[in-house]
Formats: sequence, C-alpha cells, structure tokens
Amino acid sequence: MNTHNDDDRNNLRYAEYVLGVLDADARAAVAREIASSDEAATAVARWQQHLTPLMQTLPEVTPPPYVWTRILHALQWDVSRDTTPRRSIFDSLRLWQWLGVGASIVAAACVIVTLRTTLAPRHEVVATTLMVSSIRQSNGIAGWTATMDLSRKEVVVVPASPAAIAKDRSTQLWLIPAGQKPISVGVFASDTTTVLPLNAELLSQLGPTAALAVSVEPVGGSPTGQPTGPVIAQGAISGAPEPHASGKVALLIPFAMPNLPSA
Amino acid sequence: MSVTSAADHEELDRLLLRTGQSDRKAFAELYRRTSSRLFGVCARMLSDRREAEEVLQEAYVSVWQRGASFDPTRAHAMTWLVALVRNKAIDRLRQHPGAAVDHDFEVNDVADEDPSPASRAENSEEYHRLEDCLQQLESQQRRSIREAFFSGTTYNELAERAKVPLGTMKSWIRRGLLQLRACLEA
Repeated sequence: MNTHNDDDRNNLRYAEYVLGVLDADARAAVAREIASSDEAATAVARWQQHLTPLMQTLPEVTPPPYVWTRILHALQWDVSRDTTPRRSIFDSLRLWQWLGVGASIVAAACVIVTLRTTLAPRHEVVATTLMVSSIRQSNGIAGWTATMDLSRKEVVVVPASPAAIAKDRSTQLWLIPAGQKPISVGVFASDTTTVLPLNAELLSQLGPTAALAVSVEPVGGSPTGQPTGPVIAQGAISGAPEPHASGKVALLIPFAMPNLPSA
Repeated sequence: MSVTSAADHEELDRLLLRTGQSDRKAFAELYRRTSSRLFGVCARMLSDRREAEEVLQEAYVSVWQRGASFDPTRAHAMTWLVALVRNKAIDRLRQHPGAAVDHDFEVNDVADEDPSPASRAENSEEYHRLEDCLQQLESQQRRSIREAFFSGTTYNELAERAKVPLGTMKSWIRRGLLQLRACLEA
C-alpha cells in the first residue's frame, strides 16, 4: 500500500525527471514507467505544465535556415511513403493544384509538361526536395509562384497574375533570410517561366524563416547588389505539402494566363 | 513568437494536431512559429551551436513522426514541444557531459537570473502564477530549480557549479519542488 511518503517520493522522481536533474539510468527508468503507466504519464505531464512556463524568460534564437532544409532531407519528403515510384501525370498536377492553379486551368492554358521520369528499379528512388513560395503583390494577388528544387539546385519562377512592368525595367528575385539583407537570386522575365540556378549560399539560406521578394530594377538588374527599385511582391517559403512523383519533373510552361482567379 | 493568449495556444494545438495527421503545410507553419522559441531552449542547454542545431533538427523530425501522440487535453502544444526538445537535449548532455553550457552559478547572488519586471510583462498567466510561487521559496531553492531547468544538468554538476555539497543541492531542489507543487496546486 502506498503511504503518503511513497507518493511524495514517486512524485518527486517525476518532478526531477521533468526538471532534468536525474542521471541517465534514473531517467531511463522513469521513461519506461511513463510508457507503461498512465499514472506516471499523467504525473509527468502535470509537472511539465507546472515548470515549462519558465522557458518564457529565455531569449528566442532564430535557427539558421539550413536546419529546415536538413529536416526535409531527414524526413525524405520527396519520397512517396509507399516507396513505389509513381509516374502518373496526375502526380505532377497535384503540385499545381496545391499552388492554387486548378487542373482545368492548367489544361486550358496549353501547358506543356515534360516529365522526365526516372524509370528507377523498385525501391530505388531519386531524391528531389521541393520548396514553394507564392509571391504576392501588394493587392494580395499572387504575381508568381516559385518552386525551389534543392536537388536540382534551381528555382522555377512561373507567372500567375503579375502586374505589367515597364519595358525599360527588369524584375529581380531576392531571397531574404530572417533579419538579414536580401541576396539576389537573379533577374527573371516577369511574364514567362524562368529557371534560375541556386548557388550554395542561396541553398543554405532557404527555409520557412526566409522570404522571397521581387523588386523592379534597371534592365539587367540592380547595379548595387541590393534592391534599388520598389519591392512589388513578397512571399513566404514552405515545403511542398504533397509527395510528388519520385522521378524528376521538369515543368516548362509558357503561360499565357490572363487574370487567374486569385490563388 | 511569444505564446501568451488562449488563441495562440489553440492555434498551435491545431497546427500540431494537423501535423499529427501528416499535414505538411501545418508542419511548416508550426516550425515557422515555434522554432525560434525551441532553438532558444537548445542554445541555452548546449554550449556548441552545431549540437544545438542537431538537437533542434532531431526534435522536429520526432514532432513529425510522433505528432499523432499529441493529446491537447493533457498539455498545450508548446508544453509538448518544449518537453520533447528538452528531452532530446538532456539525452545528449548525458551522452556527452562536456556539451553542457559550463558556468558557475551563484545561489545567493541577488543579481542572478530573476527575470526583470519588463520581461515579465510579455509572459503568460501560467508564467506569472509559477513566478509568484517561486518567489515564495528561499532564494537558493528558487535559483537552483531555475538553473536546473535551463541547463538540464544533473544534481552532481549543479552542486559542483554552485560549490555546495551534493546533499545540500538535492535538499534545496526537492524541498523547493514540493513547496512549488503545494503552491501551484492549491
């Protein structure tokens, strides 16, 4: 039978576990108890609730963007979970649906989709990791979507509904790591699909804490290495939410797409 | 981000629940909103920045894999996430004791880590209740508990750093924890 003292002693062990003062063996013993006893799990959860608010006094520290990239790689998000390579064109359409471009619109816009599907043997898959960004203009409408392919080291910029740009101006894409200066990704055509290479610096900075932006610059791009003209669109970066075809997919899309419904 | 309101808690709970259902967009958003907070915890516990990054990475991989076990009736998402990342960091500290942030701490120093009134204003109601209860402890108990939580180091190391016998450190922390529980659950 448990005495009051036994209860206190047990409860203290759970508190010490949560606080983090136990040595490796004692920790492992409590971890086993948590897994097997609901009572222990409840007691530990209660101490976590009691003590965790302490962390609110710690300063927040933004992790470098490559941590997110490594998480994506560790999770192999590019690989379909059943490890069976899929080659259907609908797999690539799914990406476009997610980007806010409905399949019917894609069909109507005479899309040429070139699928370079790796006919890999079963269980051998080619890793491609995608990140995407919907770059929105100040009116809230997506001007472009950018798909960053980490394994191909390139970004594909596809116009959605960009505002007209003066003939004697260029649009330039920038990567802005949290709290840092913009880094030029390159000059791109505002009204057709452009593929730009991603160098090591850009790749290391890609992640959900970074953003993309588009500025209007003199023809050929900013002469200073930093944006000189107005920033007309910005977008957050996220991992592609759906598994896509495990083969490499190249999308070459001359979009003539008037006034898409806003994504 | 600071999580101060019930709405913030609910939003994070929702994102973690959806992550548990393999929603990648929710996971990316959860990372965006919580990674600085969790990295702050890692950076405080591990002296080497690279190890802190590895622990953060491992923690989020576990979040994705074990998100389905999150039960919002038991704890808020932030509590669950902090517990997960602290457990990873503590495991690593036990494997490589040299990875700890090694500094002495002074249990009797008035100018120790008690938070300033300014930082208190930004914190949640739960924090204020905890802080009020901590203030009722003797300063050695309070400082030792705070340092233990932030550093994740063992009784032995804490005693060494505070330059007190092991038995003294254990007794400060244990009595402090029991008093804290009595105050918080009153």
